[in-house]
Amino acid sequence: MSFVEVSGFAKSYGGNTVFEDINFVLARGEFVTLLGPSGCGKSTLLRCLAGLVSLDAGQFRVEGEDITYAVPQKRGIGMVFQSYALFPNMTVSQNIAFGLKMQKLAAKVVASKVAEAIELVELGGKERAYPAALSGGQRQRVALARSLVVEPRILLLDEPLSALDARIRRSLRQQILDIQRRLDLTTIFVTHDQEEALTLSDRIFVMDRGRIVQQGSAETVYTRPANEAVARFMGNYNLLGPQESRLLLGLDIDGHLAIRPEVIRLFAADDVTPGLIPATVMHSQLLGNVVRYQVEAKGVALQIDCLNRRAADLLSDGNRVMLHIAPEDLQEIAP
Amino acid sequence: MATERYHRGVVYLLVVLLALPVLGTLIYSLSERWDATVLPHGLTLHWYTTLWLDDRFLMAFWHSLVVCLGTLLLSTILIVPAVFAIHYYFPRLDRWMNILILLPFAVPPVVSSVGLLSLYADGPISLVGTPWILLGCYFTIALPFMYRMLSDSLRVINVRELVDAAHLLGASTPRAFWAVILPGLRKGLLASLFISFSFLFGEFVFANMLVGTRYETLQVYLYNMRNASGHFTSALVMSYFIFTFALTWMAMRISRQERT
Repeated sequence: MSFVEVSGFAKSYGGNTVFEDINFVLARGEFVTLLGPSGCGKSTLLRCLAGLVSLDAGQFRVEGEDITYAVPQKRGIGMVFQSYALFPNMTVSQNIAFGLKMQKLAAKVVASKVAEAIELVELGGKERAYPAALSGGQRQRVALARSLVVEPRILLLDEPLSALDARIRRSLRQQILDIQRRLDLTTIFVTHDQEEALTLSDRIFVMDRGRIVQQGSAETVYTRPANEAVARFMGNYNLLGPQESRLLLGLDIDGHLAIRPEVIRLFAADDVTPGLIPATVMHSQLLGNVVRYQVEAKGVALQIDCLNRRAADLLSDGNRVMLHIAPEDLQEIAP
Repeated sequence: MATERYHRGVVYLLVVLLALPVLGTLIYSLSERWDATVLPHGLTLHWYTTLWLDDRFLMAFWHSLVVCLGTLLLSTILIVPAVFAIHYYFPRLDRWMNILILLPFAVPPVVSSVGLLSLYADGPISLVGTPWILLGCYFTIALPFMYRMLSDSLRVINVRELVDAAHLLGASTPRAFWAVILPGLRKGLLASLFISFSFLFGEFVFANMLVGTRYETLQVYLYNMRNASGHFTSALVMSYFIFTFALTWMAMRISRQERT
């Protein structure tokens, strides 16, 4: 039996479908990410799972128990909000203790659990601080500790890292993952950041226009996009229509061909190896360890990502090159 | 430099112009006699002691306090949960509420008094001449101040997510409101109560037309004492002024604290 079963979830507001036909199962301790662009319905789906928004249709079971209509207080679900939603009138300790006090636990038990939670998120020394006096990263950790201390069955994280700068985001991402692994906590993480999804998740559910369009491991979703929407969202794929495929590769296909920018290899313009395609560099962009080239080959625009090894290897606009695309790197996908 | 001096000059002139009548009234209320001379004759607290020993004045003061505090109690009980419910459950209503609360100001008090007089003079609910009708009228006056200030306070604290977070931690809605939302509203509520009180304490038209001497409030008393000694009424005006000034100052301090 699956730990979490979601079947037939649907929600609409005044005729506008937010999401529909949402089905998935989760194993205990699994870390799943709902990934998709803004407005695809992922945050509303999370709020429905938490019981904060009512469903139009569907069933939600946790450990076999049907909690579709249970109030948020009775679901055993913890949630970290995008804005953290820390209680501004309470100190760090009081915020973390709030859920325990609602369970009417003895003061000694509350104090010991709060101390453990503070240690878990490495906030020692900040017990008496108010949220207004904390940095974004510290607030995020208080929100995490507050959700974890009540020992929820499922943890929901609604874009908890989006308001933080890149360095803190990376370190907190790892911290969240460590805590999740240590507690073996079933977690659903919502984000629009593919890097976050790829680094954190056991499985990724890609959402587009209110539907889960693909679910699978990070590797599968990144290398084998199920359709055009996933390919566009993951990894800056080159998407070639039927006419472009014929022009560039001489292939007759009905749908689209997806080619990852990092699988296209560049060779010198005078290389005569059979199967190479002549191209011209139109524009280059240095992204640190990667150089992104926009090239034109047989009238088709392509994007190519190369490792930035040596300054001498960098190509300039107008340079002529040869391209190689291995047949196994071509993916035909549904529109 | 010259511009700054000019601006300072204008401000000082304005302060003098505004302070002059108050200062004149204060000196008049403290003088034994001030009629045919440029400067007053003798300083005395006689007018103040006469005023503060006058039973009728104390009763009017008490009536004003009862009506104002009663109104504010009623307003707090009704408006605070209403503002919370609107912001948490029906946020779209806020736009309509902002129009609705201004409606009482669209009708001049004299006009609405005439309507209220004919409605509540007799019949099933006869309220004219009782403080109850003032409670109702004053509620509509306090409503815009309280609604707007509380609404602003709630907007700052992101009610929805705070209550949702409290729900997920096991709190009921009333508990979430009491433990999480109300502390955030405290300063906004206090400031709006002080401002409303200052406003209501000086209300005259409704009090005079709907209740008059049957439940004499401070403003009606002041009006009825217009033929008494000028020194006495000056002491009355100054007492009233100092009282409302202190309240307004407290309200300003509280709202400044809230902003910081």
